[in-house]
Amino acid sequence: MSQTVLNNIPQLPADALFGIKQRSSRDARDFKVDLGIGAYRDENGRPWVLPSVRSAEKAIHEDPLYNHEYLAINGLPELSIGAAKILFGEESHALKEGRIISVQSISGTGALHIVSKFVAKFLAGRAVYLSEPTWANHKAIFKTQNVKTEAYPYWKSSTKTLDMDGFLGAIKSAPNGSIFLLHACAHNPTGLDPSKEQWPTILDTLASKEHIVIFDSAYQGFASGSLDNDAFAVRLGLEKLAKSCPIFVCQSFAKNFGMYGERVGCFHLVLPQQDANVDISKINRAISSQLSTIIRSEVSNSPAYGAKIVAKILNSPDLTKQWHKDMITMSSRITSMRHALRDKLVELGTPGNWDHIVSQCGMFSYTGLTASMVERLETQHAVYLVSSGRASIAGLNKGNLEHVAKSIDEVVRYCSKDAKF
Amino acid sequence: MDRSKGIRTLGKRFFASIDKIPRAPPDRILGLTEKFNEDRNKKKVNLTVGIYKDAWGQVTTFPSVAKAQRLIDADLVLNTDLSYLPITGCPDYSEHVLNFLFKESCPLSGPKLLKEGRVSFTQTLSGTGALAVASKLLALWVSQTVWLPQPSWSNHRNIFRSNGFTNVKEYPYYKDGRITVEEWLDHLRSAVDKNSKTRDCILLHACCHNPTGLDPTKEQWKQILDTIHELGMIPIIDMAYQGLESGNPPKDAYLLRLCLDESLYKSWPHGLFVCQSFAKNMGLYGERVGSLSVVTPPFQPETKDNVDSQLKQIVRSIYSSPPGYGSRVATMVLSKSFLKMQWYKDVEFMVSRLSQVRKEMHELLEWPSLIDFDRQHGMFYYTGLNPKQINALRNDYSVYMTMDGRISLSGINDCNIEYVCKALKSVTKTI
Repeated sequence: MSQTVLNNIPQLPADALFGIKQRSSRDARDFKVDLGIGAYRDENGRPWVLPSVRSAEKAIHEDPLYNHEYLAINGLPELSIGAAKILFGEESHALKEGRIISVQSISGTGALHIVSKFVAKFLAGRAVYLSEPTWANHKAIFKTQNVKTEAYPYWKSSTKTLDMDGFLGAIKSAPNGSIFLLHACAHNPTGLDPSKEQWPTILDTLASKEHIVIFDSAYQGFASGSLDNDAFAVRLGLEKLAKSCPIFVCQSFAKNFGMYGERVGCFHLVLPQQDANVDISKINRAISSQLSTIIRSEVSNSPAYGAKIVAKILNSPDLTKQWHKDMITMSSRITSMRHALRDKLVELGTPGNWDHIVSQCGMFSYTGLTASMVERLETQHAVYLVSSGRASIAGLNKGNLEHVAKSIDEVVRYCSKDAKF
Repeated sequence: MDRSKGIRTLGKRFFASIDKIPRAPPDRILGLTEKFNEDRNKKKVNLTVGIYKDAWGQVTTFPSVAKAQRLIDADLVLNTDLSYLPITGCPDYSEHVLNFLFKESCPLSGPKLLKEGRVSFTQTLSGTGALAVASKLLALWVSQTVWLPQPSWSNHRNIFRSNGFTNVKEYPYYKDGRITVEEWLDHLRSAVDKNSKTRDCILLHACCHNPTGLDPTKEQWKQILDTIHELGMIPIIDMAYQGLESGNPPKDAYLLRLCLDESLYKSWPHGLFVCQSFAKNMGLYGERVGSLSVVTPPFQPETKDNVDSQLKQIVRSIYSSPPGYGSRVATMVLSKSFLKMQWYKDVEFMVSRLSQVRKEMHELLEWPSLIDFDRQHGMFYYTGLNPKQINALRNDYSVYMTMDGRISLSGINDCNIEYVCKALKSVTKTI
C-alpha cells in the first residue's frame, strides 16, 4: 500500500442535524415524527410552498426575458435593496444616510461566513462572543477562519428564562471592541428572546463598551407573523449603536419564504455615523470592493433562481401582501401547536412545568428534555429531536401531537424514576 | 454615562482601522461588464464574459434545459419540496453527475473507481465553488503550494490565496501565439522536488484553456502527465468547458481519461481533484451548478471516508448546503435520455456557431490562428492585442475585451461582426 499525504486527514463526526434527518428517513417504523431540522411543515406534515412564492415563480417563468445569466458578484440589487428595506424599515436613518452596504449571500450561513472572513482579515485578534447555547454551526463558521470564539451566558436552565445578569456581566467583562453575535429574533435553539424592556439595556451596555454587533436574522416575520415586530431588536440596535461601532447583519430568507434549499440571503454592513470630514461613500466603496473579492473567491457570484423569486415578491405590492399573509399562516399554526402541546402535557400530568413551550417563539422550543430522554424518545417512540432537547414545533400537527405528548410523558416519567439526585 | 478615556481611544482606533481598508481592485472581467452597461454608444459590443449568446445576441435557455424546467414545474414532488439539500448536495444529482463523469466520459477506467468507492463527491456552486472547497481541503491538510498556468483565468489566484494557499506559482504556458510545453516541463523539473515532504498541486485546464483558447495536443498531454506524475504532484483538473471543444461533452473529457488510465498511471497517490461546472455547457451560469470529485488512491477506503467528512465540514462552514433549483434542472437533463440527447444537440449547435464565427472573422481579418481548429478551442480567442490597443478598442469603438487580450466569440454575430473586425483591424494597424 502506498503511503500518501492524504492519510493524515482525520475523520470528523457527522453533522448532528443532518444526521437526524438521515436516521429518521432510514427508520422503518410506521409512525415516526421528525422534530429535528428547522423547516416548516404544514398541517399534514408536508413541506409547504408559499402561495406568494408559487405566484412569483410563475411570473418569472412567463417573463420572456427570463434566462440563467450570471448575477453580479455582489448579487441582485433588486434583492439586496428590498431586503435592507424590510429589515431596517423604510424610515431607517442609516439607510437614508447611505451607511449600509448590502450584498447577496448564500442564505444566512453564507452571510455569517462573509463576516468571519471579514473579521479574520480586518479585525484580527478580536473574539466573537456567542450565546450559550447557540446554533451549532455558529462556532464552526468562525473556527474555520481561525477566529476565536467565546461564550456568553444566555439560558438559565433552572428557570428556563433569560440569564440577564450573566449576559450583561459578559458584555461588561469582555475586552472593549469585542464582537457579540445576537439572534435578532426567535433565538435558535432556545426560542427565548430578550423582552422589549430588556433589549435597550443590552444594547446600551454593548454600546458603552464599543463592542461590534453581529445580528443573525433568520426568522424575521416567521416568528410572530409581523416583519416589523420581529425586526425590533435590529432596528433598535441601529439607533443605539449608531455612534459607537459598525454592525454586521446576516439575513436569511430560508424560513420566511419557505425556500430553504434555494439559499437566498443578504449580508449588510452598517457603518456608524462618521465625523463630517469623513467621506462615507469612499469607505463604502472600499468595503464593497473587499466584499466582492471575498465572494468572488468562493462562489464567484450568488445563485440566481431563488434571488429572483424573493426580489419579485419584495418589489410587487400584490405579492408582498400575499407573502405577509403566508407568514401569518405559518406563525399562527406554530403558535397553536405550542399551545396544544403544552395543554396536552398538562392534561397528562407530566411532571414539571411546560409553560415555556408557549412563551418561546419561532420554529423551536428548548424543551428542557435531557439527552437521555431525547435518546429514549428516538429509540422507543420514533420521535426525533436534537440531543440538546431542541424540538422543531413546525414538525407537530394534529395527527402526531398526541403521540409526541404521550411519548414525552413516558420518557420524563421513565428517566425521572431513575434519577439519582 | 461616564465613558473612560480608554474606550474613546479604542473607538477612534477602530475608525482608523476601518478607514484603512483599501479598495480591492475590481474583478477584471465582471468589472468591465459594469463599465459596458454604463456605455452610451449604441454600437457597443461586449466580448468580455464567457456567456453564450445566440446569433441574435441573446442569452437564451438551451432547449433541453427549457424542457427540463417545464417537467419540473409539472412535477408534484419536485415542485413542492424546497427543503434544504443535504450538505454535499442532492443524492440524485450526485448519482447522475458521477455517471456522466466517470461512466459516460471515462468508460474504461471510471466505472471501476465508482465500484471501488474511491470517488469522494460533493455538489458545488459551479466551478468556482468546486475550486474553493478543493483548495480549502488541500490547504488544511495536504499542500499550500499550487502551480497555475501563465496566463490563467484571473480568479484562480484569488481563489487559492483566499482559501489558504501561501504559495501560488506559475508555469509558462503561452508565448507568441503558441503553447510552451517544453519550457513548462523544464520549469517544473527544476523547481519541484519530488523527494520533498510536502506535495505541490498543479492546476490543469481540461480543455478550452481560459483565456488563450489553446490546448496541448493529446501527445503533449501524455508528456505533461508523465512529468507531473513523476514529480509526485497533485493534479487539480478545472473542467469548465466540457463539450465546447468538440461539441461532444464525453469526448472532451480526454484529459480526465488519460489521468485515469491505469496502464499509464497506476494511481495518483495523493489524490486527483476534478472541478466541474455546468455553467457553460448547460447554460446554467447564474444558477451555480457544478461538482467536486476527489479520486482517492486504491485500497484505502478510510481515506475516502475521511475526505467525505472533511468536505462536509468545509461546506457547512461556508454556505451549509448548495442551492437546489439549478441542480434539479441538471439532474432532469442528465437522467432522461430524450433530454440528454437534446442537450448533446444543443452543445453541438452552440459549438458549430462558434466555429462559424471563427471562419467568418478569418475571412475578414485573415488571422490564421482563428481557424487553427486543432489547437484553438472553445468560446475564447486570444488576440494577442496589447493593453494600449485594448484600451483604444474600448475608448474609440466601445468594443470591450479583457485586458489580457481575450475575446469571447459568442458576443459576435451577423449584426456586429463587420464592425468588430474593422475595429480590430484598425487598432492593430495603427497602435
